[in-house]
Amino acid sequence: MWAVFKKEFKSYFLSPIGYVVIGIFLFVFSLFFYILVPQSGSVDLGSLYYYTALYGLMIIAPILTMRMFAEERKTGTEQLLLTSPTSMISVVLGKFLAALSVIIITLLVSFIYFFIVCYFGKPNITSVLAQMLGFILVSSAALAIGMFASSITENQIIAGIITIAFLIMSLFIENLSSIFSSLVIMNFYQKFPTGVISLSEIVGLLSFTGMFIAFTIMVMQRRKLVK
Amino acid sequence: MIQVENITKKYGNFIAVKNINFEIEEGEIVGFLGPNGAGKSTTMNMITGFIEPTSGRIIVDGYDISKKPLRAKKQIGYMPEGVPLYSDLTVKEFVTYMAELKGVDKKEKKEKVKQALEETGLTDVQNKLNKNLSRGYKQRVSMAGALVGDPKVIILDEPTVGLDPKQVTEIRALIKNLGKNHTIILSSHILSEVSQICNKVIIINKGEIVAIDTPQNLEKKVIKDNSVYVTVEDTENKMETIKNKLENATEVKLVAENEDKTKKYVISTDQDIDLRKNIFDVFAKEGITIFEMKKADATLEDAFMELINPSEEQPKKEEGGKA
Repeated sequence: MWAVFKKEFKSYFLSPIGYVVIGIFLFVFSLFFYILVPQSGSVDLGSLYYYTALYGLMIIAPILTMRMFAEERKTGTEQLLLTSPTSMISVVLGKFLAALSVIIITLLVSFIYFFIVCYFGKPNITSVLAQMLGFILVSSAALAIGMFASSITENQIIAGIITIAFLIMSLFIENLSSIFSSLVIMNFYQKFPTGVISLSEIVGLLSFTGMFIAFTIMVMQRRKLVK
Repeated sequence: MIQVENITKKYGNFIAVKNINFEIEEGEIVGFLGPNGAGKSTTMNMITGFIEPTSGRIIVDGYDISKKPLRAKKQIGYMPEGVPLYSDLTVKEFVTYMAELKGVDKKEKKEKVKQALEETGLTDVQNKLNKNLSRGYKQRVSMAGALVGDPKVIILDEPTVGLDPKQVTEIRALIKNLGKNHTIILSSHILSEVSQICNKVIIINKGEIVAIDTPQNLEKKVIKDNSVYVTVEDTENKMETIKNKLENATEVKLVAENEDKTKKYVISTDQDIDLRKNIFDVFAKEGITIFEMKKADATLEDAFMELINPSEEQPKKEEGGKA
């Protein structure tokens, strides 16, 4: 698993993707920071993380995940990966964790905003940490969807569009019917922004992530039957 | 080393590989030969565990590739068709990644990577990006990826396609060299290549095995033609009557008249004998100078053509007889 993780993580920064993602993230962060924080006059960063997750992930998740399996399939390097004595689980987890690490790096950079508000008031570090934990979990869920999308096609663009479509649809799909409410990952990111660590939200996001990781593993394992 | 038992692969109604069986011993260099779309790559992909056969089983070094895939895959180094590489990695990074995927021990990793790079002659370009390499070097990088970590079996899918003649010679030499310590399976549609490198040939056509044998035996199988080509200087025009003096010869026929006044004849026989000694003795007695004498030999190419397409070969044989 670590071999795949190491290589994938390095690849993000060998190509512009890693830098682009961090750039977009920080841009979105700064934008919301400018819009939200001075206006509310509070040192609470919860809404900053909430809106970044809501809109930022829509761009970032597909960028990070669209290549994952689609590119390997297209260039044929998939053959190297699938014929090596590495289990599918470790390949999928390695790739997933590499993408998640890029997000974690940006979150570390986002401490800048914490230090900025520190200058003006006394923000609560534990609630910021809770918001970040929630952010990591909600990103995992978005990445898991993206990864799954990438595993079902050899076209990166299609993988990206599926991911974006899923995330955009979750903005209003609840209006159709409340049945879909558990498909909306942002529903599991309501208490975290207030600095509360909610067990039900953790379970919700983790099971959502786990489900799509499992789907990806299943798709990839089925590949050798249908190829 | 590798047992392939009753393997069939179907894609819907299309049967890509039809019930094939063969066994590969340790240390053999085996060549898969067949026209495009014959099922070479499909078979190789099944041996490497990349695709699952519809029925049948494949045992690699005692492990069933479907049931114990990780164990079986550990014994195999695979160079897929079209040499897929991670283009944003350098040569060394790529080979190191392959070593890591194969679970090469951390302490040995550096040494093994270095060894693979040396064996494939990549030491000079090890810090170049894969995408900046020429086709020949890419091929070598892919090969280095296959052989790093010393797998017992190395499988090479069309290792010399798209290379210039010099590179082809180099790669062939490399494969021969690897064959000393590894079992090698390679596929090709270049016949001379297979006959040069391999000690066993498996000919596949339309998903079925049509022959498994050594290159020499395959050639022998189709040499039914015992004709001899001679180029002679015949100042006294004795060639016209020579047939009566040659035992067993059924026909002597002029093929070509050369500019230097020598003539080329083909002498045929209907018996399974070598005419050459007889021809030499008789011609010497008659005062005919032999400039060149050659047995009409069937090459692996002929064997291949006949095996994959017996009906088409028939007219060609007749033509040979007339000539």
